[in-house]
Amino acid sequence: MAIMTVLFAALSFAAPVLVRLLGRRAFLLLAVVPVVAFVHTLGYTGVIASSDGAATESWLWIPQLDLAIAFRMDALAWLLALVVTGVGALVLVYCASYFGDDEPALGRFAGLLLGFAGTMYGLVTSDDVMVMFMYWEITSVLSYLLIGHYTGRKESRGAALQALLVTTLGGLVMLVGVVMLSVIAGTTRISELVAEPPQGVLPSIAIVLVLVGAMSKSAIVPFHFWLPAAMAAPTPVSAYLHAAAMVKAGIYLVARFAPGYAESPAWTPIVVGFGVLTMLVGAWRSLRQYDLKLVLAYGTVSQLGFLFVIVGFGTRDAALAGAAMLLAHAVYKAGLFLTVGIIDHRTGTRDWRKLSGLGRAMPVLAVAAALSTASMAGIIPLIGFVGKEAVFTAFIEEGLRGDAWAWVALVGTAVGSVLTVAYSARFLWGAFARRTTTEPVSIHGDSGAIVAAPLVLGVAGIVFGIGVALVDPLLAAYADTFGHGEYHLALWHGLEPALFLSIAVIALGLLLFAARRSVARLQSTVPAVVDASRGYWTTVNAVDRLAARVTLFAQRGGLPQYLTTIVVVFVLAVGGMLLVTRTWPTDIRPFDYPLQVVIAACMIVASVMAARARQRMTAVLLAGVTGFGLVALFALHGAPDLALTQALVELATIVTFILVLRRLPHAIAQHNRPVRKVRRAVIGVLFGVTMSVVAAVALSAREAESIATELPRLSLEEGHGRNIVNVMLVDIRAWDTMNEIAVLVVVATGIASLLFVSGRSGTPQRLPGARRQRANRRAVPADVRASNGISPAGESPATIDSADASAAEDDHDDTGAHPQLVDAGAHEPTVAHTATPEERLASGARQSWLLAGRTIRDENRSLLLEVLVRLLFHPAIVVSIFLLFTGHNTPGGGFAGGLLAGLALVARYLAGGRYELAEAVPIDAGKLLGSGILLAVGSAVGSLFFGADALTSAYLEADVPVLGHLSIGTSTIFDLGVYLVVVGLTVDILRSLGGEIDRQQEDADLDPGASDDFSTTTAAER
Amino acid sequence: MHQREHASLGSRAMLFLGLVLLWAMLWGQFTVLSVLTGVAISTVVTLVFYLPAIQFSRRLDPARTVYFFVRLAFDIVVASFQVAWIVLRPGTVPHNSIVAVQLRTRSDLITMWVAESLSLVPGSIVVDLDRGESILYLHVLDTDDGRDVERARSRVLGTEERIVRGFGSAHDVALVRGTARPPEADPTPPGTEGER
Repeated sequence: MAIMTVLFAALSFAAPVLVRLLGRRAFLLLAVVPVVAFVHTLGYTGVIASSDGAATESWLWIPQLDLAIAFRMDALAWLLALVVTGVGALVLVYCASYFGDDEPALGRFAGLLLGFAGTMYGLVTSDDVMVMFMYWEITSVLSYLLIGHYTGRKESRGAALQALLVTTLGGLVMLVGVVMLSVIAGTTRISELVAEPPQGVLPSIAIVLVLVGAMSKSAIVPFHFWLPAAMAAPTPVSAYLHAAAMVKAGIYLVARFAPGYAESPAWTPIVVGFGVLTMLVGAWRSLRQYDLKLVLAYGTVSQLGFLFVIVGFGTRDAALAGAAMLLAHAVYKAGLFLTVGIIDHRTGTRDWRKLSGLGRAMPVLAVAAALSTASMAGIIPLIGFVGKEAVFTAFIEEGLRGDAWAWVALVGTAVGSVLTVAYSARFLWGAFARRTTTEPVSIHGDSGAIVAAPLVLGVAGIVFGIGVALVDPLLAAYADTFGHGEYHLALWHGLEPALFLSIAVIALGLLLFAARRSVARLQSTVPAVVDASRGYWTTVNAVDRLAARVTLFAQRGGLPQYLTTIVVVFVLAVGGMLLVTRTWPTDIRPFDYPLQVVIAACMIVASVMAARARQRMTAVLLAGVTGFGLVALFALHGAPDLALTQALVELATIVTFILVLRRLPHAIAQHNRPVRKVRRAVIGVLFGVTMSVVAAVALSAREAESIATELPRLSLEEGHGRNIVNVMLVDIRAWDTMNEIAVLVVVATGIASLLFVSGRSGTPQRLPGARRQRANRRAVPADVRASNGISPAGESPATIDSADASAAEDDHDDTGAHPQLVDAGAHEPTVAHTATPEERLASGARQSWLLAGRTIRDENRSLLLEVLVRLLFHPAIVVSIFLLFTGHNTPGGGFAGGLLAGLALVARYLAGGRYELAEAVPIDAGKLLGSGILLAVGSAVGSLFFGADALTSAYLEADVPVLGHLSIGTSTIFDLGVYLVVVGLTVDILRSLGGEIDRQQEDADLDPGASDDFSTTTAAER
Repeated sequence: MHQREHASLGSRAMLFLGLVLLWAMLWGQFTVLSVLTGVAISTVVTLVFYLPAIQFSRRLDPARTVYFFVRLAFDIVVASFQVAWIVLRPGTVPHNSIVAVQLRTRSDLITMWVAESLSLVPGSIVVDLDRGESILYLHVLDTDDGRDVERARSRVLGTEERIVRGFGSAHDVALVRGTARPPEADPTPPGTEGER
């Protein structure tokens, strides 16, 4: 059994590839998997036919919780496994004809559908209640994805979400029940829970909770509304999930627990009450539908209620009848859904008022549908009839023994069956009859193979009906878990009450169908009393509104308020703790050395001035002064590592600030004057005081001996590094670092998604012609814009220029956004090709220092920056690589190195603009971030393969001839990951806060009508 | 892209060897290992982060170069005291000027050296640079009259001359000596070209 689930999973993951290779024919290949599982399950027939026979498999999973991956194939599992795999195979075959090769996301669909079949198989065969619950939830998620297959349709997404919310709600309730049961019983094995059910109040409550889960999954009132909405799914999904498989999970659960828990006090009222109600509501609604699929959907709701009553009723004969009905329903309802799919496919509509004469046009399909419908209506000699008669017999027998609920169930299901016959007849008539009032529709031809699946299912109904004597002992194997009985499934039991009841039901049903106009009039006059679907939407909307209210309350949109909240909470919480602390410092030194006082004074002055500054840029630079003061303190205190990192961070922060501030007004609070200045000042001072006191108290609060004394030894012996800070980062506390870079990646992604509002393109916009230049590395390119020397040599390079210009136009649809690119060619003065460098310099032509310098407007261009960046960029990268590698022993490390490389890229951007950045890093920043995380995680996980804990470092040391002593550790790989993440973050910030804002600015400049608040400000600045 | 000629092997080698030297110095050792890894790292860095080739002047006068740097250091020390005096002296608020100076060289590299050296000296800072015309715009402290402005201008030209004589190209040397004529001025007035 386990091997089957593995097979399902493997092929599900392979499905997208197969679909890409084979197109829709891949479904035929995938159908082999459920067929194999079907045959495999049939192999257990011998085992389960013997009394109480069951095959089990089990692997210990979490020994501490006594959880095992346990599978158990007994009669009930066997029946459902056959249904799931059999119908699954037919649906997959059907898919091969139903979809076209051009269907979007077909590979994903195939994988999900096959995965769903495997999950259902696992669900019905698993014997551990937790494992079963996992499968249960997986079916919910897969059903969400399958119902939402048409991701572009709002209706489809809404239905998927509705189904997910309803079934997960039930699932969670059920989890509570299941956990209660297993804790009380002391086992998680379903077989043991059922064999020896715990007694008492708590188990009774627990089983009600389990029933709620089953009801939500099987669309029992009041959860029924999600099922008709889920008809937004493609038809194969409806046929499989909503007829044969997923909705049967709830029924299965009831059938599974009924032998042990049917005696529980709340069980019968819930099962019979809600089951009968569902059957009547579903059937009543079904009679009103014009969409054939909705007729079936409401019919399914009705039938699920019917099944709920029977399998939950809790007597041996009812269980036997339930097993038969379960089989019958899966077979006929799947067949009918597939039929509707074909009609929809061929005619383009599912509204039967637009259909006419299909029976003559598609006789094979009509016969298949007629067989299935007859089985649904309970016509002899189909399996539906056998099942229904067994049901009536069971209820009558039990009623005669004096069970009042049996009479309720009998009357309810009988009335429901009358309605069932009526909507069955209406369905068949609506779909296939020839009506004079309607024009015959044109029929879109396809291969006849698509009819195979519904035909097989239709014929199966009659085969099971006639051969019911063969099926009976196998189904009875399940029923006998309730105690042995005499009743057998058979076509003919003689002139019994049940037979007369069946005949009466059919006759009344047909009468109802004949009087369908009066019924329709009656239905339209009866108001919908309770609409569960409306209740769902009311709840969802209420939650949305509540969330909006809470957000509005907590986040009013003013930054000062947020800061005030945070700071005040901090002052109250931490400051309050300070008041009760008893570890006041005993010995306070004012300073270690006088320079500290000077630096501190500078920082204090700067921070006070920053708070009073009227210009944004001034405030940022003053805040930067405090940061650099910290750098000085670190450096003087003998922490060059911290000083280096802090300096780099401070630089990067200032650059980021400036990139943002250039689009904001220069002066702070131009429009809204700051209010309540005194209060804010008081809060700020309180915060500062609290922090100072906390620092003083924290330093003197140490009671245990510091582990810091051990760090030098640990880092050298365990981490092979002399730089304690770096060894801490990449080895001793590498988990922290890992989480931090994960946060960095999230931040980078967040910034990018905030600014790339119109969707983020993978690779940045490149400079036209840059590749050509790259190819000729030795060439000294002339800077076409700065050269003012003119050398009208005989040959005019105008042709090249225009080619360049048109290349620019071809490369970018929005060429207008950077007119200087095009103009550069058009206005370009030229220099003779034969000129020597001296002549060229003499003529005034200038060489190009950067790749994209010419894309910047002359007035914004800085020659100094360009030349310096050209000369210093490569050295900066080399130093950053040095910092990365040397970090283990001397100041540096991946973070500092990455920051330096990032700053080098910042310089490239500042000197040459966004095209320069694109040339420097011509790949998506996300790839840098991703590979960084991959390296870090890879080195973390890598050690697991050598039997060590995650993130354990390994070191290789060797004396190589000529080269000398070499030492390399896996922690360097981790550090390389950190390096890449930091570089990626910088690139992402530059690309979004820098390049993207530039681009938006260019667009705004070009289109004055579309200018926003920002661009008017910037325009004024110019 | 207009590729007129190729950078000399010397210029390319200088940049590359500079990187290798930097790497070896960072590690503080000249061993086979450090040089080999340096060559490898430099190769990778220059290949991955491609930047346009550049051409140096092919001329170096060691004595004059040393003189330039010594003089620069001297200027910085002297100017520091001058600026300190300007700031601290009682009474008058200094008159400052923006001075435009027409350089003789047309080399970006030399222009950059001139601008950076001037900015290093307290009291003067380069505020703008007209690349096409080789004009430096300098902010100069304490210029009471035209003589002060002229003095600032001659200081700029003196710096330019020392740099060019130290490591400028032969053509530039001829220009500062006055033995070569500067190129014809651009017929289009500056400024119009930039306006689109």
